[in-house]
Amino acid sequence: MTTAAAQLPAPERPVPSYLEHGRGIRSWLFTLDHKRIGVMYLLAIGAALLLGGLFAMVLRLHLWTPEGALVSNDAYNKLFTLHGAVMIFLFIIPGIPAALGNFVVPLQLGARDLAFPRVNLLSFWLYVVGAALFVVTLVAGGIDTGWTLYPPYSLEEARGLGLLVALAAVFVAGFSSILTGLNFIATIHKMRPPGMGWFGLPLFLWALYATGIIQVISTPVLGITAAMGFLDRLFHLGLFMPEYGGDPVLFQHFFWFYSHPAVYIMILPAMGVVSEVVSVFSRKPIFGYRFIALSSIAIAVIGFLVWGHHMFVSGQSRVASLVFSFLTLLVAIPSAIKVFNWLATMYRGAIVLKTPMVYVLTFFAIFGVGGLTGVFLGALATDVPLHDTYFVVAHFHFVMVGAVMTAFLAGLHYWWPKMTGRMYSERTGLVSAALVFVGFNLTFVPQFLAGVAGMPRRYATYAPGLVVHNRLSTVGAFVLALGLGLALAGLLASLRRGRRAPANPWGASSLEWAAPSPPPHDNFATTPRAPRPYDYAGLRFVSEEEGWVREGTP
Amino acid sequence: MSGHLARAGGSLAATTGFLPARASSVAAEVDWVFGFVFWVSLFFLGLIVGLTLLFVVRYRRRPGRLEPEDSPSHDTRLELLWTLVPLALLMVLFGLSTRTWLRMVRGDGAGGTPLEVRVTARRWSWWFDHPGGRGAPELHVVANRQAELVLSSVDVIHSLWVPEFRLKQDAVPGRFIRMSFTPTVAGSYPILCTEYCGTDHSRMLSRVVVHPDQAGFDAWAREGAAPAASLVEHGKRVFAQRGCVACHSLDGTRRLGPTVKGLWRRRERLADGTEIVVDDEYLRESLVKPGAKVVAGFPNVMPPLVLEERDLQGLGAYLQSLSERP
Repeated sequence: MTTAAAQLPAPERPVPSYLEHGRGIRSWLFTLDHKRIGVMYLLAIGAALLLGGLFAMVLRLHLWTPEGALVSNDAYNKLFTLHGAVMIFLFIIPGIPAALGNFVVPLQLGARDLAFPRVNLLSFWLYVVGAALFVVTLVAGGIDTGWTLYPPYSLEEARGLGLLVALAAVFVAGFSSILTGLNFIATIHKMRPPGMGWFGLPLFLWALYATGIIQVISTPVLGITAAMGFLDRLFHLGLFMPEYGGDPVLFQHFFWFYSHPAVYIMILPAMGVVSEVVSVFSRKPIFGYRFIALSSIAIAVIGFLVWGHHMFVSGQSRVASLVFSFLTLLVAIPSAIKVFNWLATMYRGAIVLKTPMVYVLTFFAIFGVGGLTGVFLGALATDVPLHDTYFVVAHFHFVMVGAVMTAFLAGLHYWWPKMTGRMYSERTGLVSAALVFVGFNLTFVPQFLAGVAGMPRRYATYAPGLVVHNRLSTVGAFVLALGLGLALAGLLASLRRGRRAPANPWGASSLEWAAPSPPPHDNFATTPRAPRPYDYAGLRFVSEEEGWVREGTP
Repeated sequence: MSGHLARAGGSLAATTGFLPARASSVAAEVDWVFGFVFWVSLFFLGLIVGLTLLFVVRYRRRPGRLEPEDSPSHDTRLELLWTLVPLALLMVLFGLSTRTWLRMVRGDGAGGTPLEVRVTARRWSWWFDHPGGRGAPELHVVANRQAELVLSSVDVIHSLWVPEFRLKQDAVPGRFIRMSFTPTVAGSYPILCTEYCGTDHSRMLSRVVVHPDQAGFDAWAREGAAPAASLVEHGKRVFAQRGCVACHSLDGTRRLGPTVKGLWRRRERLADGTEIVVDDEYLRESLVKPGAKVVAGFPNVMPPLVLEERDLQGLGAYLQSLSERP
C-alpha cells in the first residue's frame, strides 16, 4: 500500500494550486474553497489588527503624561472602547480558528473541504458585515462604553446611535463565530480519514473541537444579550435599566456567561498550535497526547462555570462568589497539565530553533505569567484590591495578546509555506520574534506594577507618581509594534523573494504536509490514509527537495 | 477644595512603591495572601522558564545530535503528579483566600456599634452622609472603629476603592450595597472610582479621613451641623458639597464646564450661536436644566440637580458674590 504522500511530491505538478484555480476577484469573494476563505479571513483580521493596534498606540501616547498628552477624556474613552471591541471581536476571536483553522482543518483531515462550504462562506461574509458595522459605529460618533457595554451607562440615551449600531455589529459577528464552530464540529465528527480515530486527531483539531463547543453554546447568549440591550434601549423594557425596573447586574451575568468562555475561544486554538509546533520542532511525539486532548475539553466545560469571577465586587451573593472562586481556581489545572506536557515533549528531543518554535518558547513564558497572574484574580482576597486595576489589564493582555498572538504568529509562520508555497526569511522571523517578546514584556510588566500601586483601568488621567510605569509601557508598545511590523514585512517579502516551499519543510507528520505547497484546489488526489499522530519515524530529509518525505507505510 | 485635595490624594497611592501602605484591619492579611500567591507563582514561572531554557540548550538539534533520544510518549504517574500538586496548592490557596475574604466582607465589629455612613455616588463625585447629620464630599471615619458604608448611585455603576484599605465595592443604581471595614491608622487616604463611568471617570476622586479617635470625629461632625451664617455661606457649602468645582473652577482654569470666576454678568456665547448675559434666571435654569443653554465650546454633560429651594438661592447668592469682590 502506498501513501498519498509518496504519490504526490512529484516536482512537476499537472494540477494548478488553489491560488491559480480560478482568476479574478469574484473567484475569491464567492469561493467555497476553505483555503481561499482562510486567506480572506487572514487579510481581514490583519486589517482589524492594524486598526486596533493604531488605537492602542494613540492610547499609549496619550498616557505619556498624567494629565493626558494627546486627546480629550471623551476621545480617550472612545479609543479604548474601539481598541477592545475591534481586537476582541474582529481579531483575536476569529484569528486562529477562522484564518488558520479554515485553512488547516480539512487538510489535516485529508479532506477536500469543510463539511459545509457554503456555510463557511456565509460565516466569512457575516464577519465582513459585522466589521463594517463597527466602522459605521466609528462614523456615527463612536462609542465610549468600554467593550463590556455595562448598563446603565451603555443604554443611556446620551450614548446615541453608535451604541445601537455596535450592538448590531456584535450580534452579526457572533453568528459568524457560531457558524465557524458548527462547521468545525461537524467536519471533525464526520470527515476523519480512514485510520484516524478520535485519539488519532492532531491536537490542533482537538483544540478547535473544544473551541467549537464553546462557540456554539455560549455565543448565542451574547447575541441574545445584545438583542435585549437593543430592545431595552429602544423600548424601555426594563431588563437592565434600573429606572424602568431592570437590573444592571443581570446584564453582567449574561455578558460574562459568553465573554469569559470567549477567553477560551481565544486561548484553546492557540494551545492547539503550540501542541503541533512543539512536537514537530522537538522531532518527538507529543508527550501525553490524551491528557492534552482531554484537558482541552476540560477547559471548555469548566470554562462555562467561572463567569462570576468578573463580579466579585459587584454585590453578588457571597455564596456565588465562593463557588465561582473555587471553580476559577480549578480551571487552572488543565492549563498546567498542558504546559508540563509541552515541556516534557521537549525533554530529550532534537529541538530546532526555527521561527515558529521560538514564538512557542516565548509563549511558554508569556502564558506562564498570564495564567499565574490569573490565580491572583481567581482568589477572592487578592481579587478585591486588584479588581478593575491595571493588574487586570496586564493579566488579560498577557493571556489574550501575549499568548494568543505569539501562538498565532507561530502558527502563521508554521503554515505560511503551505498557504503561499514560499519560505519566509528565518532571520527576519527570529528578529521579529525577539522584538515582539521584549516589546510585549516592556509594555505589560509595568502595568502589573501600576495596578498594584493603585492605578484603576480605563483612566484617561492618572496620579503623577505612576508616570514611570506608563512611559515604560508606551516605549514597550512601540517596540512591540516594530516587531509586528517586521514580522509582517518578512512574510510579505517572502511572497516575492522567498524560496519555493517543499511539501513538507518541517518534517511534520500530519496530513496537511502530505499535500503539495500550496495545495491544489481539491487538496488531495485521493483520500490519504492517516499516519499515527506525531509519528516522525518514517520521515526522511531529501536534500534536493529541501524537505521531508515519508517512506513506506505509516 | 475637594478636587484639589482629591488630586493630591490620588498621588498618595502611587508614591508608596510596590504595594500601597496598609491602613485597615485586613490589609496585612490580604498582603500575606498576595505574598503567598506571588511566591508560589514565581516558583512555577521559574520552573517553566528554567526548564524551557535548559531543554533548549541541552537538547538543541546540532551536528552529532540530529535525532531525539528515546523517551516515553506518556507517563500517567508523572502526569497525575503535575495534575495533583497544582490542584493541592490551589485548594490550599482557596482556603486561605476564603478565610481572609470572609473577614474582609464581614467586618470585625471593632469599637462597638459600627459607624454607618450612607454613600451616594454620582458622575463624577461622591457624597457621604455621616451619623449626626453631617454630609460631606469626603468620607470621615474613626480609627479602630468598624465603619459600615451603604452604597448607592444616582446614575450609573461606580466603584469605591481605597487602595490602603485593600477594599473595593461597586455602587449600583437601584440598590443599597453594604461594605464594612475597620481603619487602623489615622490619616487621609485616596478614594478612587474603579468602575468606568464616562468622561471624568479618572477624576472621580475623593479621600477618606480617618480620625484618631471618636472625639475628633464628633468635633468634625458638630462643626458642620452649625447653621449657615448667611445665604452666601450656605451657597458656598452647597457648591462644595455637590462637587461643582470638579468641573467649574474657581480660579479661571478651564475644566469640563465654564469657570465660575467672574461668572455674574458675564457675556457668554451659546452652542446655538446666540449670546446671553449671565443673570439669576440663567443661573437657575442652568442648575435644574443644564442642557437648555450650553455655553459654546463645552460638552453638554452636566447632570440635572435636584436642589432644595434654599440651596438654589444660596448658590445664586454665592456665585454672584464671586464677581463682587475686588
